[in-house]
Amino acid sequence: MLTTAPYLRIRRPSPTTAEFIVSTLPPQTLPARLALGAVYLVRLQLALAVLLMMYAAQSPYYSAVPLQPLLLPSTKALATDAYANSSTSASTAAAPSPIDVLATTPIFSLAFIRQILNILLSSRLGSLLSKLANSIPPWVLIPCSVITLYFLSLRIGAEERLLVLRGLGVQTSSSGATVFSPLKTRFIPTEKIQDILINEAFRGFEVRHYLIVVVEGEEHIVVVFPRLLPRPRMVEKVWKGARECLYGRDGEDEKDGGRHREDGTV
Amino acid sequence: MPHRTYNIAMVSDFFFPQPGGVESHIYQLASKLIDRGHKVIVITHAYDDRKGVRYLTNGIKVFHVPFAVIYRSATFPTVFSFFPLFRNIIIRERIQIVHGHASLSTLCQEALLHARTMGLRTVFTDHSLFGFADAASILTNKLLKFTLSDVDHVICVSNTCKENTVLRAALDPLMVSVIPNAVVSENFKPLPRPDPNSLPFVQHPLPAHPLGPNDTLTIVVISRLFYNKGTDLLIAAIPRILENHPNTRFIIAGSGPKAIELEQMIEQNVLQDKVELLGPVRHENVRDVMVRGHVYLHPSLTEAFGTVIVEAASCGLYVVCTAVGGIPEVLPSHMTVFAKPEEDDLVAATGRAIAALRANKVRTEKFHDQVKAMYSWTNVAKRTERVYQGISGDVSEAEFYGFDVNHDPHWHATRGRNFSLIDRLKRYYGCGVWAGKLFCLCVIIDYLIFVFCEWYWPRDQIDFARDWPRKKFEGDDDD
Repeated sequence: MLTTAPYLRIRRPSPTTAEFIVSTLPPQTLPARLALGAVYLVRLQLALAVLLMMYAAQSPYYSAVPLQPLLLPSTKALATDAYANSSTSASTAAAPSPIDVLATTPIFSLAFIRQILNILLSSRLGSLLSKLANSIPPWVLIPCSVITLYFLSLRIGAEERLLVLRGLGVQTSSSGATVFSPLKTRFIPTEKIQDILINEAFRGFEVRHYLIVVVEGEEHIVVVFPRLLPRPRMVEKVWKGARECLYGRDGEDEKDGGRHREDGTV
Repeated sequence: MPHRTYNIAMVSDFFFPQPGGVESHIYQLASKLIDRGHKVIVITHAYDDRKGVRYLTNGIKVFHVPFAVIYRSATFPTVFSFFPLFRNIIIRERIQIVHGHASLSTLCQEALLHARTMGLRTVFTDHSLFGFADAASILTNKLLKFTLSDVDHVICVSNTCKENTVLRAALDPLMVSVIPNAVVSENFKPLPRPDPNSLPFVQHPLPAHPLGPNDTLTIVVISRLFYNKGTDLLIAAIPRILENHPNTRFIIAGSGPKAIELEQMIEQNVLQDKVELLGPVRHENVRDVMVRGHVYLHPSLTEAFGTVIVEAASCGLYVVCTAVGGIPEVLPSHMTVFAKPEEDDLVAATGRAIAALRANKVRTEKFHDQVKAMYSWTNVAKRTERVYQGISGDVSEAEFYGFDVNHDPHWHATRGRNFSLIDRLKRYYGCGVWAGKLFCLCVIIDYLIFVFCEWYWPRDQIDFARDWPRKKFEGDDDD
C-alpha cells in the first residue's frame, strides 16, 4: 500500500544535467506522508517495547520488584538531599514515589534513564512485558528481539538515483536497507567511464537486465540501481538519457553499436 | 509460402570454451541457422571463466547457467531445480523450439522434459552410440527412453546412430531423421600444390603425391587416447606396421589415459625416432598437424559419425579406418581403406594404403573439393530447419514423414502428440513396469512445479529480451 512497483522519474535541472530516480515510494502527497509517518511512529513504539523487554530480561531483579527501585548511592544521596530540602513539606514525608525521585534526579544521567525504565516497567504494559521476558529463555528472546529490531528498522520503499553531469561524470546513489544505514553514493568522473551499457545476468531463478558503468582500471563494473533492478523499458530509457546527457547529441551514432554490447562478467 | 523463422534454444552441457565435436556442432549449426533468419540461443552450464549471459559471433546468445559440474563436464542431475530458470529464459527469449544435444548431458534431458511441460516443440540430436549390455549403458538407455518418450523429433548423425537410438529408446523410426555432421572445409585445406612451371621436369598431370621411392611416408593419428577410440589397437599395430614398412613415420596427437601405454610401447620397441607424440592439440591447429602426413589412421572401436576422418580427407589425406559404427557411411570408398577392428586387419589395411599411395594410385588432391561438395554446415542447417518445419506443422505430415503415413490407421504422427498431461503420462507409463510409474511421478511433479512457477513468477512480469537484429534470408541458391 505504501510502496509501488519501481517507477522512474527524470529531473533535468539544466540542459547538461539529468537525474534519473527509480523509486518504490509513491509521489509524496499529504495523506501518503501522514500514513508513512504513522507507520514509522508505530514501528518506533514497537521497537521501544522490544528494547524494554530486552532490558527487563537482563535485569530480573528490577522486574521482580518493580515498585521498589534500587537506587544508586548517588541517587540515594540526591534523593535524601531532595528530601532534606523539602523536609518542611509534610506530604512528602513518606517514602518517595518513583515520579518524585525522577523529578529530583538530574536529567542526562544514567540514574535518570534507569528511573524512567523502572517507571515504565512498573506500569501495566511494563509488567506484562517483563513477565513475557521472564517466561522466554534468553537464548530465544535475544536473537528474536534482534531480528525483530532489524525488521522494524527497515526502510519503507527504496530510492536509487543516477545523476549525470556532462563533463564531470556520473554519480550513483542508493538508499540503505535500514533507516540507520547511510545513503551509498559513488561518483565516477567522465575520464574514468569506459562505457555505459545494458547487460543481462542470472539473479536467483531469474535473468535480469541491468545498467552498468564500466570503469577504467577497475576489475568490477558498477551496477546502477543495484537493489531495485528496474524493468528493461526503464533501464533503456535511463541508458539512452544518460548517454545523451553524457556525450551530447554525437552519442547518437554510437547507439547501434553500443546497444547491448555484452560483457558477461558481473 | 513465406519463409517462417523460429526461435530456437539449443541446450547441452557441452559447449565452448570446452573443445569437442558436439560443441562445434552446436556452434556451427546455430550460426548457420541464424544465417537463415532464425533466432538461436544456447543454454549450457557455467565454466570457470564463463558465467552469465554472453554473445558469440553472429549473435548467438549463450546462457551459462550456474550449476555444479560432476563428471566430464556433465552437470549434477538436479531434475527440477533448473526449471524456474529455464522457464524464465524460455519466456524472455520467446522460444518456440527446444533442441537438445548429446544423450549424456543431463541439462539437455531436463530441458526437454521441462519444455514439453511448458508446451514447446522439442528436438533431440544424438551424437553417440551406446552399447546395450553394461550397467552404465542400461542406465543411460533407460534415462534416454524417459526423455525421448515425449520428444517431437530425433536427429541422428548417421544411419548406424539412428538404428542404435531407435533400439535404445524404442522410438518410431519415422520420427528419427539422419542429418550428418559437417566440416568447415575452409579450415581444412591441403597444402598448396607446387606450380607445374617451377618443377625441374614437366609432369602431366601432377602426381597426387610427390612421393619419391625413398621418401618417408607419414601416418597421422589424432584422437583422444581412450579405450573407445581404439588406442589399444593402435598400440598393437604400430610396431608391426613399422616393421613391414620401414620408411614410414607416425605422428600421434591427443591426450588421455592411454598415453602412458603408448609411451611404454615406444620405449619397448625403441621407436622414438619413428613415432612422434605431440600431446594435446588445439582444434585450430589440427589442420597443421594433418597436412604433415599422407595417411590418416583412425582405429576407433565405436563412432557415431567421425568428423575427424572428414577433416582428414578434406586435408587431402588417404584415410585408413575401422569399419565400425557410422564410419562406413561417412566417406566414399575411394578415399578410404576399411579394416575390421582387429590388429591383423588394421596392419594389412594400412599396408594396402601405403602401397596404393606409393604406387600413386590415389588422387588425394581432389579430396578437398569432393568433401567440400559433400559436407557443409549450410546444408545441415537447411535440413535441420526442415525438421523444425515438420514438427511445427509448417510442412504437411505426408510430406514430412512420407506419403504412406496417412493410409496407415495404426500410425500416429508426432504432430498428433499433444501436450495434455494425461496423454503425456500415457506415453511415459509405457516405459517399464517400475520405471513407467517413476517417470509418471516425475512428470507430475514437473507439472506441479510449472503451475507453481506460473503463480509465483507470473508470465507478464517477465520481460522480453531484445532480439539480435535478424538476418534477411535470401533463399536457397544451392538446391
